[in-house]
Amino acid sequence: MTPSTLLAAALEPLLDAWLRQDPETLARFAALEGRVVALHVDGPDLELYFLPAADGIQVLGRYEGEPDTRISGTPPQLAALALRAPEDALFGGGLRLEGDTALGQQFRELLAAVDIDWEEQLARVAGDVVAHQAGEALRGAGRLLAQAAGTLRQDLTEYLQEEARLLPTRIETANFLDDVDQLRADVDRLEARVRRLRGRLEGT
Amino acid sequence: MGDKTTHFGFQQVPVDEKVRRVGAVFDSVAGRYDLMNDLMSLGIHRLWKRFAVEMSGARPGQRVLDLAGGTGDLAARLARLVGRDGEVVIADINASMLEQGRERLLDAGIAGNVDFVQANAERLPFPDGDFDCVTIGFGLRNVTDKQTALNEMYRVLKPGGRALVLEFSRPVAPGLKPLYDFYSFRILPLIGRAVANDEASYRYLAESIRMHPDQQRLKDMMQQAGFEDCDYHNLSGGIVALHRGYRY
Repeated sequence: MTPSTLLAAALEPLLDAWLRQDPETLARFAALEGRVVALHVDGPDLELYFLPAADGIQVLGRYEGEPDTRISGTPPQLAALALRAPEDALFGGGLRLEGDTALGQQFRELLAAVDIDWEEQLARVAGDVVAHQAGEALRGAGRLLAQAAGTLRQDLTEYLQEEARLLPTRIETANFLDDVDQLRADVDRLEARVRRLRGRLEGT
Repeated sequence: MGDKTTHFGFQQVPVDEKVRRVGAVFDSVAGRYDLMNDLMSLGIHRLWKRFAVEMSGARPGQRVLDLAGGTGDLAARLARLVGRDGEVVIADINASMLEQGRERLLDAGIAGNVDFVQANAERLPFPDGDFDCVTIGFGLRNVTDKQTALNEMYRVLKPGGRALVLEFSRPVAPGLKPLYDFYSFRILPLIGRAVANDEASYRYLAESIRMHPDQQRLKDMMQQAGFEDCDYHNLSGGIVALHRGYRY
């Protein structure tokens, strides 16, 4: 049994369960039924095959036919594919895309579009009222957290720049960079002047 | 004819008797077959089956025969691989097992490209060259005449088709055999009694595994049936082996 088979066996139920949380996106997978997307991991030289269908996704560690699309990259590059905007990952991340590029793009977009409505899922087991209250509480906590994080960031910045003077402020940095530019220009001018003077000396 | 015998676990029984007795075992365990599989193999049988399906090379549009397909574990995955244009035929000699399989697949939403046939693996009701792939998962050892079953699998395959035999075999990993023997003769019947209330059936399962040909002998039998490029993969230290052969 190969590592790919084990990885596929571990990944498939996770991916399937995740997709099932978003029935609308899952329904759009039906359009990709019959296509095969291969994901090649460069480092350990693993290849996994994804066979999307309307009722979920099948992940295989071995596929004898030729996949329609093969996406290859190192593990960090592939992780970026899952986390970042597709253009960034595909064109800036050093990933290689072979075969039907449109299919690869579509597959990635569908995965990125999975949007799990936790409140709806909770409502299924706990009822609408509880789910709504839990959602409200979570959203409130989220706002509070965001606020606290913002304040903390501001305080920390002020402390490091104004009190401890460990870090320069934005304006100081800009001034410093201007000074560097100024210095570089001065050096360039001086160099040119020296060259001109030397030329004149050697000419006479 | 009447004094011809074969093995049923560790006992010798008349040939006709074996068919009846195996039938009784599976009638008895059908309802809890999947639960028992999970318990007995600690869930690893799913991995063995998954590996078998990956090795089947099944592709959209193909016709696959799953012999002794019983509760449809292999067929469920194969059906997704062959897609709407393909077809998976589940054949099992035991009506109770087929019934279980049909209900399970329907409940899982797998329908339309799956057919059920009650048939004896030694006398398949299909024309020559009818399938791209024939699989038999944990079924061959219960067939009375294994060689005839392998010959039949060869016959119904298209040229270029392949047969896969997933079956218990001989542990080859060092130190595994004593552990495995203890487990299957001491623990297994106990689990059988506790969960399925049927110790005898599970004792038969353990014994029939010991009577089944080992890796090399099964490979020889496949070659004798006409299969070419035969090979096998040991899984979990040889407790299970996946044999593969092609018809050209």
